[in-house]
Amino acid sequence: MKLMKSRYIAYFLLLLVAVSCEPKLDDFKPSAGSADFSKYISLGNSLTAGYADGALYLTSQTYSYPNMIAQQMKLAGGGEFKQPLMFDELGFGGKRILKLNPALDCSGNPVAGAPPSLGPVLAEGTPDARNFTSIAADGPYNNLGVPGAKSFHLLAPNYGLLNPYFGRFATNPQTTSVLAQAMEMNATFFSLWIGNNDVLSYALAGGAAEEITSQDLFSGAYASLLDGLTANGAKGMVASIPNVTSVPYFTTVPYNGLVLTEQTQVDLLNQAYGNNVYGISFKIGQNPWVVADPSSPNGIGMRQLKSNELVLLSIPQDSLRCRGWGSQKPIPGYFILDESEIASITIAVDNYNQTIKSLAETKGLAFADANLFMKNAKSGLVYDGMRFSTSFVTGGVFSLDGIHLSPRGNAIIANFFIDAINEKYNANVPHVNISDYPGIIFP
Amino acid sequence: MLTIVCTFLMVGVYAGGYQVGLHGQKQIGMGLVGTSLCFDASSMFYNPGGLSFMKPTYSFALGMSPIISSTAFRKSFPADYSAKTDNPLGTPFYFYGAAKINDKLSAGLAINTPYGNSLSWGKDWGGRYLIQDLSLKAIFFQPTVSYKINEWLGIGAGFVLATGSFDLSKALPVSGANGEGSVNLNGSTTEFGFNVGALIKPMDKMNVGIDFRSNINMEVSGADATFVTPLSLSGNFPANNKVSTTLPLPANLDVGVSYDVSEKLMVAMSLNYVFWSVYDSLIFDFETNTPALPDSRNPRSYKNKLIVRVGGEYIINDKFTARAGGYYDPSPVNADYFSPETPSLNNLGLTLGLSYKPIEKLSVDLSFLYITGMEADKQYLPDNFSGTYKSQVYIPGFGLTYNF
Repeated sequence: MKLMKSRYIAYFLLLLVAVSCEPKLDDFKPSAGSADFSKYISLGNSLTAGYADGALYLTSQTYSYPNMIAQQMKLAGGGEFKQPLMFDELGFGGKRILKLNPALDCSGNPVAGAPPSLGPVLAEGTPDARNFTSIAADGPYNNLGVPGAKSFHLLAPNYGLLNPYFGRFATNPQTTSVLAQAMEMNATFFSLWIGNNDVLSYALAGGAAEEITSQDLFSGAYASLLDGLTANGAKGMVASIPNVTSVPYFTTVPYNGLVLTEQTQVDLLNQAYGNNVYGISFKIGQNPWVVADPSSPNGIGMRQLKSNELVLLSIPQDSLRCRGWGSQKPIPGYFILDESEIASITIAVDNYNQTIKSLAETKGLAFADANLFMKNAKSGLVYDGMRFSTSFVTGGVFSLDGIHLSPRGNAIIANFFIDAINEKYNANVPHVNISDYPGIIFP
Repeated sequence: MLTIVCTFLMVGVYAGGYQVGLHGQKQIGMGLVGTSLCFDASSMFYNPGGLSFMKPTYSFALGMSPIISSTAFRKSFPADYSAKTDNPLGTPFYFYGAAKINDKLSAGLAINTPYGNSLSWGKDWGGRYLIQDLSLKAIFFQPTVSYKINEWLGIGAGFVLATGSFDLSKALPVSGANGEGSVNLNGSTTEFGFNVGALIKPMDKMNVGIDFRSNINMEVSGADATFVTPLSLSGNFPANNKVSTTLPLPANLDVGVSYDVSEKLMVAMSLNYVFWSVYDSLIFDFETNTPALPDSRNPRSYKNKLIVRVGGEYIINDKFTARAGGYYDPSPVNADYFSPETPSLNNLGLTLGLSYKPIEKLSVDLSFLYITGMEADKQYLPDNFSGTYKSQVYIPGFGLTYNF
């Protein structure tokens, strides 16, 4: 009997042991498909360099989308990816951080009891002097993104003299173009995302300085770039240009941000502008800003902003609040993108993007429609429980300068580019995990 | 007869297929079939109508079934990310005590844990903005009476007092100098329900059982909602908020039949219909709302499901009885609203059981339940979180029955 008992119990225990293993799922198997990622280089502007928060600095460079893509490519036969890193968190200066700022009245005195406001301020500190010296000897560098570069700049043989971001890692600033330096690398795979500054520089000046690169200049430059980059048979990916007017730098200050709460204010302003004889009028609530416009049909060189026009984030907020800008005084035109300027930008971007797309097809390259992606992003993006929008600061996609991407914004675009590469070359480069990267850091 | 779910399925507050059916080692041994059986005092849970057919005058049963569970997750390609739960051991238990008051009337008390468990994906995993850890505990107290109308029909009813608590943590996608924000919700409540059943013996060798257990809405009001966020956002997420929420524990309708094939062999099957569709959405109603913290309505859209169970019992000799069974428990979770907080898959359960009687009055009951949660691609649309899930659960059970 005893034997029998232990036998049954032994069977039972045996069964227990036999099944104790954990659930297992097949792993993702990365592959390069018909591409070769062994030497990847990236060309572009500030977005490619990893510029963020108003500066190019050490940490922002590590979060550049090309660096993210390169790390993923490593899982599919990719090699080392070297970036021309700054030596500190300030770069050339100008970096912004988010801070709680005490509420101040128009004389600059703290307002008792008022809650502090959250906003970006300049980071303190002195940049490391080595940021301003050449690091070309430590190259070659795979990330050839140069902040400020326009399409044709990448072909300029002396661009290292004109642009210190390239100057610091150009093998010969007097004679080497970005393209030439790229071709010396003899890469197997490249990415090219250029053209934003061909319109952005104009847009950042409120249409009052700089020029939109002509379509001929752009398409000629773009074709030369692709000819050079594919000369050795390299494969690659190109991306379209997002319409710059979709970024928070242009969409944060509302066209009708003049809020009037008292009838006496309304009456005084209406009176000052001749009681609507010039098409300028005010009411309680939100009102369009008054802006300078020498060609205004009312002949007085100013008018109210239209709902499809944009105010730049660079506008001094205290001038709006305390110096009567936009109400008693017109806002200068260089803080405004008006209807015709926006139209010029949109036409240029559309034409550039057609060029990029058709050249990509001709050359058999992967094409990522970043313009379409950004358009869709306007209505919000959700990944793994994280909600993103194109709003300034709280949206999470853009960094504190309102133009360049946050680390998570870079991760989102890196995945989008990886999708384009995978599709074109039948590759299996894994996505990055967006939640592995930091969001906007709040105080 | 409740759905067996496991750790992963757990419980909870948020949980979905979150029933646990571990309420008697003998029933567990034979595929969790119980509606048509009247082994002992455990009938109070499975079918109060069966209690009046109990043979001994007094019957006591107690036991526990530690749940060892693990769920694996792999994000949809081309993501290269996978994770596994590190669940604490779940410990459902039961205690039943019943007595025959006279030939017709029996009464007793059942205490068990039809819901309750723990799920832990960890603090830093890729779905942390959906769920990190979840714990749900529920204990049911069910005083029961059963009346034998005649030799072939018994009916019974129990009043259920359910006490439950939940504790849930997840990360918030806002960062400060000290890392990410987080929220913890926890609270408890007591609610009521009922359990009614009838046992019919249409012929000598056959039992037919029917049982209905009511839905219980676990309404928790004024639970603690503790937010940890960067200072500049504390206005948006008040640190010590309160929250109200409701988790339905769905009604069950069970029908079962058992048949004595021979003196030694009995076979049984049951159909368990679970009214899951009451779990339409999970709503968190915060006492203090802000523009960043509105009340949240999370779609669940569960569907009613039928669980099919079969099992058998073989009396080896007067000391040993062996049991085996199995069941199929389809996931009630909508494939588009499948959250890692309740990764309840289509489950296939296989069971074994063994009873040993060292003396006539005492039975040592062992059971073993293995559940495989079948691999499936799921997504939680509102959070755009998708991937493949698979789970495995081992539940060794131990119990004692004392009848006299």
